[in-house]
Amino acid sequence: MNSCEYVDKIIDYRMGQLTEEQKRELELHLKSCTVCQREMIIELLVEDELAVELEPGFIENKTMARLPLRQAQDLRSFWLYAYRMVVLGMTAAIVCFVLLPFLLKFPLKPFPDLSRYTSGLGEFLSVLAPANPILVAIGFCYILLIASSVYSLVHSRH
Amino acid sequence: MDSKIDDIGCLIRSAQNGDEQAMTRLITIHKGLVFTIIMRMTNDYHTSEDLTQETFIKVFLNIKKVKSREHFRPWICTIARNIVRDYYRRTKSHATISFDQVKEFHGQWDQSTRRRVVIQDALAKLVERDRILLTLTYYQGLNLREVAEVMKMTESNVKVCIHRARKRLRRHLEGYENELM
Ligand SMILES: [Zn+2]
Repeated sequence: MNSCEYVDKIIDYRMGQLTEEQKRELELHLKSCTVCQREMIIELLVEDELAVELEPGFIENKTMARLPLRQAQDLRSFWLYAYRMVVLGMTAAIVCFVLLPFLLKFPLKPFPDLSRYTSGLGEFLSVLAPANPILVAIGFCYILLIASSVYSLVHSRH
Repeated sequence: MDSKIDDIGCLIRSAQNGDEQAMTRLITIHKGLVFTIIMRMTNDYHTSEDLTQETFIKVFLNIKKVKSREHFRPWICTIARNIVRDYYRRTKSHATISFDQVKEFHGQWDQSTRRRVVIQDALAKLVERDRILLTLTYYQGLNLREVAEVMKMTESNVKVCIHRARKRLRRHLEGYENELM
């Protein structure tokens, strides 16, 4: 079988890893060694097999015909992405500059009794924000916005 | 050689400015490489044609990100591999590479067809990584640095793996030498 020490060199030769001198040496060896000649023929056959014939112009035309539509889609998804970023940025701003100062000004009372919160949303709201229910409503709107953004983000992946 | 590389640099710059002729030329230069990689992963001609188009569409949608022409070919190859992976994730199917059914008609084939089946069969027995490694090197165009970039391996590691892959391929071809010669 392949019992010649030069067989490994053939692969290096094919990868362009041999120096000029090593190349000459191998080429000289190839003239006399049938084992290596056989290996070289196999190399060339595999190379032939790996190269695929393609109809001229077919891939080019198809790709260029499909490209404008995809560019438009790409632009649309860019704006969708920009919209999500704006929403997230605004949410972060609201949380940092409105919600946090608000909570710091009116810190949540220590929870005396958990059963109070199960009795109704209205009570829950009045405990959470005794001073300004409008701000809490805005907060809830933002939670909804974030949820819908996350939802559309997850959906656009498919 | 140098003029060809410069030519590609020019084509990339023109394509970045929306020149369709430059894009078409870039496809013509690289389609063989892209198609071959995809064909090695899917073993289906029509799927490969389709995914080759997908690859070039993705290339041109992101062509502005290309900073240097040296990384262009590895970058295209990486996109092609990812496109095939996405395709299989989407369709939840996997490449079924088998020549067993067609082997039954062995006797009626001429020598070049027999040769093809033997080599294709041996390639099909390799794991995907070995197949891609051999495709990239045998396909002449890519040098060791580029293969390393595509495979996310070090150059010395690529060298070792190609030697091993080639030996495995050779082992699969053992006993078929007479069909090949
Ligand atoms: Zn020899």
